[in-house]
Amino acid sequence: MTTEAKSLPTPIPARPRRRGGRVRRQQKRAAWLFMLPSIAVLGVFVVYPMSQALYLSFTRYDVLNPAVWLGLKNYTDLPGDPAFTNALANTLYYAAVTTPLSVGLALALAVMLNQRIPWRALGRTAVFLPVVLGLAIVAIAWSFLLDPDIGLLSYWLGNIGLTSNQGWLRDPNLAMPAVMLVGIWKNVGFYMVIYLAGLQSIPKDLYEAARIDGAKGWQAFRHLTWPLLANQTMLVTILCATATLQAFDQIYVMTRGGPYFKTETLVMLIYRQGFSEFRFGYAAAISWVLVLLILILSLGQLVYFRRRAVTY
Amino acid sequence: MATTGNTQGSAVERVRTTSSKPHNPHRMRRVVMGAVVLIVSAAMLLPLVWMILTSFKPEVDIVTYPPQLFPRHLTFQHYLDVWNRIPFARLYLNTIIFAGGVTIISLVLDSMTAYALARLQFPGRDVVFIAVLIMLMLPFQVTLIPLYDLLVSFGWTDSLHGLIIPRATNAFGIFFLRQFFLSLPKDLEEAARVDGAGEFRIYRQIVMPLAVPALLTLGLFHFMYNWNDLLWPLIVNQDQAHATLPSGLALFMGQHVVEYGLLMAASVMALVPVVLFFLLIQRRFIEGVATSGMKQ
Amino acid sequence: MTRFSRRQFTAMALGVALGVTGCAGQGASKNASDGQSTGGGAVEMSFWNGFTGPDRATVEALVKQFNQSQKKVQVKMEISPWDVFFQKLLPSISAGKGPDLMGMDAAQLPQYASRGVLRPLDDYYSKNADSKNLIPAAVDAAKWDGKSYGVPMNFTTLELYWNKDMFKAAGLDPNKPPANWDEFASMATKLTKDTNGDGKPEQYGLSIADHATIAMWPILLWGNGGGVVSEDGKTSLLGDPKTIAAADKWATLVRDGHVSPVGLGGADADKLFQSKKAAMEIVGPWMTTGFKDAGIDFGLAPVPAGPAGPVTLGTSVAFAVNAKTSDAKANAAQQFIAFWNQKDSQTSWALGSGFPPNRTDISAQDLAKNPFIAAFGEHADSAKFYLKNVKDFSKINDTVFEPALQKLLNGKGSASDLFGKASKDAQAILGQSK
Repeated sequence: MTTEAKSLPTPIPARPRRRGGRVRRQQKRAAWLFMLPSIAVLGVFVVYPMSQALYLSFTRYDVLNPAVWLGLKNYTDLPGDPAFTNALANTLYYAAVTTPLSVGLALALAVMLNQRIPWRALGRTAVFLPVVLGLAIVAIAWSFLLDPDIGLLSYWLGNIGLTSNQGWLRDPNLAMPAVMLVGIWKNVGFYMVIYLAGLQSIPKDLYEAARIDGAKGWQAFRHLTWPLLANQTMLVTILCATATLQAFDQIYVMTRGGPYFKTETLVMLIYRQGFSEFRFGYAAAISWVLVLLILILSLGQLVYFRRRAVTY
Repeated sequence: MATTGNTQGSAVERVRTTSSKPHNPHRMRRVVMGAVVLIVSAAMLLPLVWMILTSFKPEVDIVTYPPQLFPRHLTFQHYLDVWNRIPFARLYLNTIIFAGGVTIISLVLDSMTAYALARLQFPGRDVVFIAVLIMLMLPFQVTLIPLYDLLVSFGWTDSLHGLIIPRATNAFGIFFLRQFFLSLPKDLEEAARVDGAGEFRIYRQIVMPLAVPALLTLGLFHFMYNWNDLLWPLIVNQDQAHATLPSGLALFMGQHVVEYGLLMAASVMALVPVVLFFLLIQRRFIEGVATSGMKQ
Repeated sequence: MTRFSRRQFTAMALGVALGVTGCAGQGASKNASDGQSTGGGAVEMSFWNGFTGPDRATVEALVKQFNQSQKKVQVKMEISPWDVFFQKLLPSISAGKGPDLMGMDAAQLPQYASRGVLRPLDDYYSKNADSKNLIPAAVDAAKWDGKSYGVPMNFTTLELYWNKDMFKAAGLDPNKPPANWDEFASMATKLTKDTNGDGKPEQYGLSIADHATIAMWPILLWGNGGGVVSEDGKTSLLGDPKTIAAADKWATLVRDGHVSPVGLGGADADKLFQSKKAAMEIVGPWMTTGFKDAGIDFGLAPVPAGPAGPVTLGTSVAFAVNAKTSDAKANAAQQFIAFWNQKDSQTSWALGSGFPPNRTDISAQDLAKNPFIAAFGEHADSAKFYLKNVKDFSKINDTVFEPALQKLLNGKGSASDLFGKASKDAQAILGQSK
């Protein structure tokens, strides 16, 4: 079954086995020409500031006065800094919960909204729309809705007997779940669209064949859909993990990292160290630790998924 | 494939049609699924619905208890006042130019680089890819100031090119399209290469047409990201003449008093292009454009 | 080598002479290099501040009036939300593209003055006789290390709003707001109603914010003779027994007595009073319009006095001048500041924004059109400024005081433990800053 699913028609006749040196050189030249504009822009406007940020991470820098070389001090200070360990723990917690939930929910929604069911178009639109809304304004909407005293949601829930004294955003125990929920709500549509595209590129006759062989519903999903979506799953998981480890926007507008730093993530800490306390060198050091963390996780995911990649 | 196991297949078919299962479970299932979709949609859209309805409420009715979703009195005054309070038309134009410009240029540059990374063999390919990935991982808070200093040294502040060119290509876009290109079947391209077609022709005439759904998705993403970006345009431009919509909206948020009605009305009006863009590409998905060339 | 003809030489000389005379005629700058004046002699000066929201109209009107009233100085103003303002400020200044004039909370001045960003403005006060009419507390708030770095742009105190209808319904005299802590506590308790017994009041006696707000809790600490940091900005008062007693008293009332919700931000507190779910709030003049439009019959009174006597918060946004700006533009800035603070400007500022005037010589009659204004300027003498003279304002408030307060309100420890530890942390920060 699975081997059948993977071996799609290959109409290519025997192709030249040996790639001539000329072809390789042509490809090489073409490749660099293709990449030249991007490399130029990225080199100047991304790589160069990044290298500055790297340099600054070894200094004490408050923007107004020249940077003072500190060597590794910023980095060695990190493990002993409770603000850093707190932010690191919060970030890992946030990513570990939000990523699987987002990916799973995106997949479930995509599968559901790929079928011929009523209101399908409305559903797709509704799930994707939060992605395009500006977060600053939407946060105001959420704070009105979630206000435990005058908010709509609290009012409706109160009418059916579910009251909450402090509400989501003010309760130290509920603030992080609230921020996670808003994060998932905001982004799941984007991942769903990626999955939808993937689902629609699976030929329908494969499902026909599977059904004839007696597999439908959950079995068809597990043995046909899921493996064929491996590329999309890899893309979505890496994108989502990278994004959630850098969670900042909804935290900044909804809780500012509070109550008492319960929702402060690494990027929130970076912002605070830089713009509130003028410690840009230290903020830069935290950023590079974050990069390392994300890099390790992404490479791990790449390796994991490469084995399962779908190629044609 | 469909013709294998002929007798077996038809036996299964026969069993199915002669079974006494009524059609109700199918309909029931569809109705239940429809209801689920409605509930999910309502949950996802609640903040937006709140925003729209609030924009039609008189200011005094917005902060009130008990809270009401639907306006007791309808007013269009906020929509009219927005145009007097901020230079809305100019902000709109500036934002269209900024977001639109970045999107179009970015799609071209991102796809070219993604094509090279996905389809062309060259030494250092993996290094470039990893470098692109790393660019996704550094938060902008840390590169903001060095980037700003760079722009100042070029004299590019308060200018359109200073606003657009640093965003003309995007690590996210490159990564996204590379993954997409990898999932496209190679047969057409290989055939064209054997026939001696140049890489640019292959890119333009074979790969890009197949990539339309991904390009639309990425284009929407770039567009809405830049459309909603508050900090970057404000940092680059000191001049009010170049300001974009988010900065205009922010003017309704005072330190102590937020003018909710005006803010919601302006936000709803600011949303229209992005939502329109989305609805347009949404149709392409429904029509099942993502064929990825399964030609036999 | 070319030799100029006599004619050419004369022409050149004439040209140079005219040029020099022209420059001298402007008389605006002593430094030849940064004249930066437009042809007609006007000095263009950039002014950044964060007055978004309803105040913006009044600020813009005054700037426009200034620009139209004379041609020597033109103010080019840019308004953005406060957090963006501060994010932009550092990089712009360091790249030499900062504003000439800025408006920022007086509490932020030490952070920037101590880093050499701001120009001392003592000469403004000595040159400008009219500046004697400015409210002394506000002028004092803009000083750092013995020098003035700001001139008041706005000033207000916080006063007690009370909802007369809710007082009546609770059996209290609607015209007698609490005057001292005993009354304050007992009335707040009486006004807190949990009619359905689910542990969550449907109506709160008080609406007080503990983060993201204008400072409300420090007023309670001052009321007992305590505080957060001493007036000279050198000693932490968080460990002081008077501070701890005050914190404990009011935290118990809020946390256990539920007289106010826990975890309110400033905006939440305002919304609570505005939607008639809370009977009292200590806040500034910016809410009078909103409360009035919501149909609340409210009164304004001084904050109930604690054992240490009447006290309230004073808060002020101050004009500050960029240290890197040229003398010409600095003078232009001072000209604008003087215009802003003169009598008729201040009268229209007060009437337009609802803030009390920065001057002591504007009578209640002049402000009769808006009867609430006077109440906010009346108690300038008992006003204290939060974290005055403290160089690391953000650090102490955001990382020491507010977290300790929030933990206390969430029952994570006793006042003496939490504030005791906070005091040590605060003192460490105060000790470091030089």
